[in-house]
Amino acid sequence: MSRLAPEGAAVASVAESAVIPASRRRRFSRRRLGQAAAPYVLLTPAVAVIGVVLAYPLYLLAKMSFQKYGLFELIRHQGHWIGTANYARIFHDGEFWHVVLRTAAFTAVCVSLTMVLGTAIALLLLQVSRWVRIALTTGLVLVWAVPVIVAVNIWHFMVDYQFGVLNWTLTKLHIGDFARYDWFANPWTGFAVFTALIVWGAIPFITITVYAALAQVPHELLEAAAIDGARPWAVFREVTLPLLKPIFVILTSLSIIWDFQVFQQIWVMLDSRPNSEYYTMAIYAFHESFQISEYGLGAAIAVVMVLFMFLATLAYLRQMLRTGEVH
Amino acid sequence: MKVRYLAMALLVAMLAVAASTASGGTSRSHATKIVVWLMPEAQSGWPDAVAVANRNFKAQHPDVDVDIQTQTWGAHLTKLDAGLAGGDAPDVIELGNSEMAKYMAAGAFKGLTQSAYPNNKTWLQGLKTSAMYNGKLYGVPYYAGARAVIYRKDQYKAAGIKSTPKSLAQFIANGRKLMKKYGKDKSYSAVYFPGKYWYFAMSFVYDYGGQIAVQKGGKWKATLNTPRAIAALNQVKVVLNQLSRASKTGDEANPQQSLVFAKGKVGSFIGNGWEWPYALDEKLGNPALASSINAYPMPSHTKGKFMPTFLGGSDLAIPVTTKNQSLAADWIKAFTSTAAQTEIAKAGNIANTTKLLAFNASNPKLAPFARAAKYSWFVPTSANWINVENANVLQNMVVKIATGRASVKAAANSANSQITRILNTGA
Repeated sequence: MSRLAPEGAAVASVAESAVIPASRRRRFSRRRLGQAAAPYVLLTPAVAVIGVVLAYPLYLLAKMSFQKYGLFELIRHQGHWIGTANYARIFHDGEFWHVVLRTAAFTAVCVSLTMVLGTAIALLLLQVSRWVRIALTTGLVLVWAVPVIVAVNIWHFMVDYQFGVLNWTLTKLHIGDFARYDWFANPWTGFAVFTALIVWGAIPFITITVYAALAQVPHELLEAAAIDGARPWAVFREVTLPLLKPIFVILTSLSIIWDFQVFQQIWVMLDSRPNSEYYTMAIYAFHESFQISEYGLGAAIAVVMVLFMFLATLAYLRQMLRTGEVH
Repeated sequence: MKVRYLAMALLVAMLAVAASTASGGTSRSHATKIVVWLMPEAQSGWPDAVAVANRNFKAQHPDVDVDIQTQTWGAHLTKLDAGLAGGDAPDVIELGNSEMAKYMAAGAFKGLTQSAYPNNKTWLQGLKTSAMYNGKLYGVPYYAGARAVIYRKDQYKAAGIKSTPKSLAQFIANGRKLMKKYGKDKSYSAVYFPGKYWYFAMSFVYDYGGQIAVQKGGKWKATLNTPRAIAALNQVKVVLNQLSRASKTGDEANPQQSLVFAKGKVGSFIGNGWEWPYALDEKLGNPALASSINAYPMPSHTKGKFMPTFLGGSDLAIPVTTKNQSLAADWIKAFTSTAAQTEIAKAGNIANTTKLLAFNASNPKLAPFARAAKYSWFVPTSANWINVENANVLQNMVVKIATGRASVKAAANSANSQITRILNTGA
């Protein structure tokens, strides 16, 4: 997220500069028409950016998914139309469905853990003293500031087969003999490491956002509930949670999107050669595209993945529309 | 409600996410520079050969710089694909000999004139074959490598091993002696054999008379489930489980096995000629091992014979996207000149020309590798073969055997059906 700041700033400044001509226009005739057009004028830069960087590539992706597009076609920049053959092939491929299930299960675990732990830490932040809060927040921001690839390499070192810090610590604590323990020999322990890595990286964003939202919950409501005899858990469930629902819906949807397309963590940790037991949808699409050079097939997998994510974010879109209605 | 504003702020953040997914491309250089992609071995093993080539090229073209960009085996083909699609592939590229066929078949490289290149009459036949497609030449042989057992003389002696093994059974028995002597240290390996080191595992299969796949009537059929291959893979399992404590899911390059050897807790490993000097490297390795390091060809299960070694190697090619074809050709000529090839041979490799074979045989540090190279195997000659490598089929098979997550037979059967499918259909 942090690397996005400059782009976000650019969008904002474009929007600001667009405000000036809009306000000037009011002095001229057809004032009402100008007012009606203003929101669309303001939207134009964002729509243009999305069109160029999102819609056009998506169109190319969708087009390629209906083509035979291998290395031969890549060099000649020319695929040929084969209808839905790519889709038929992946839907009849047992491996594909394994990968889908694996990705869905992994996403469910990561998102649940991220949301529960992130919210728990946010609630904790409300209770602790100022210094502890500052220390915790600083720690969270630092975690957030670590680029993914750097983080993966640090974790790589933590769970290294021979020199892993985690292996050494677990052995010293007499939890078992973890010297030369290979976390990735078994996909269950391997995915446990990836879950920890991803949850660790995602918690700061969730915690800081939820904490900011919690600060907006009116005190008198909480106090009233407490006076009425509600226990803390009931206060949280009956008062806080409903108030923060829009935030939770959006955070959960965003987390689903991020975790469903996980790629770098697994790819880098496993030296760019993940064994097929570690394929998530993103890795599977990459494998079919770039390693097997079946770009059409890879595109079809990516399209299916986009559709899955769209379904997962319907709740998010609904929330977005409702948020708009209020204003 | 302020919470709603926060939600709106998050929406803006989402737009920023969407807007940021585009990333910048690389700019393309013009006639003042040529870009050469080499694999990391050139940098770690024979920087002098690269220096000789650049010097000679520079003498010929003083205004043109050579930008040597070191790639990784894991990612270079992906980058090449992207370069071919975007028109900014390098001017010269090194490809592993098993990677050539797919790209030659797809028309990714410029056709070359054999007579224009140094020593073209005496090129190693195996390498030359890997650079030809439909009778046309698309690559220049660069170097070949044969693997041999690189071992610690002092440890062998201390474990009571009198001479180097003459058979696989002796090799395994020696390994057991080493494990008995040093194996109390839980990070010691008598034979360092990481689970993804499929080149070594497949050598057993070829030694037992098996093969990866055979072609019959235009159709490929994988043969890893034959009794011979299974017998070989059972021996692989013995070495993996009893003599090695290398990572069962790691490979021979992460970490570099010669550098693990340099740390002292390895009795032997199966390495290329260049890995011997690399283990003694002053910065990364351990020069103190110079007096106790030696090598011998890996023995066969048949007493007195050698186990076939993978004839690894590389070729140099010119992608079709280049605008500097003649400069690229000149650099390849400089890099495959006798002077540069002598440096490559000195570093422990088999040069691209038979003229330099005697050079290897006369050097005690290179002779074991030159002897090992007489018995070699190569991957099935199919344009789809590299997809088998890229799908990690054989690595996964050996990993399954090493970790015991599948029986030898089950692992071989699963790899077998994948290989048959990929060789015949491409995916």
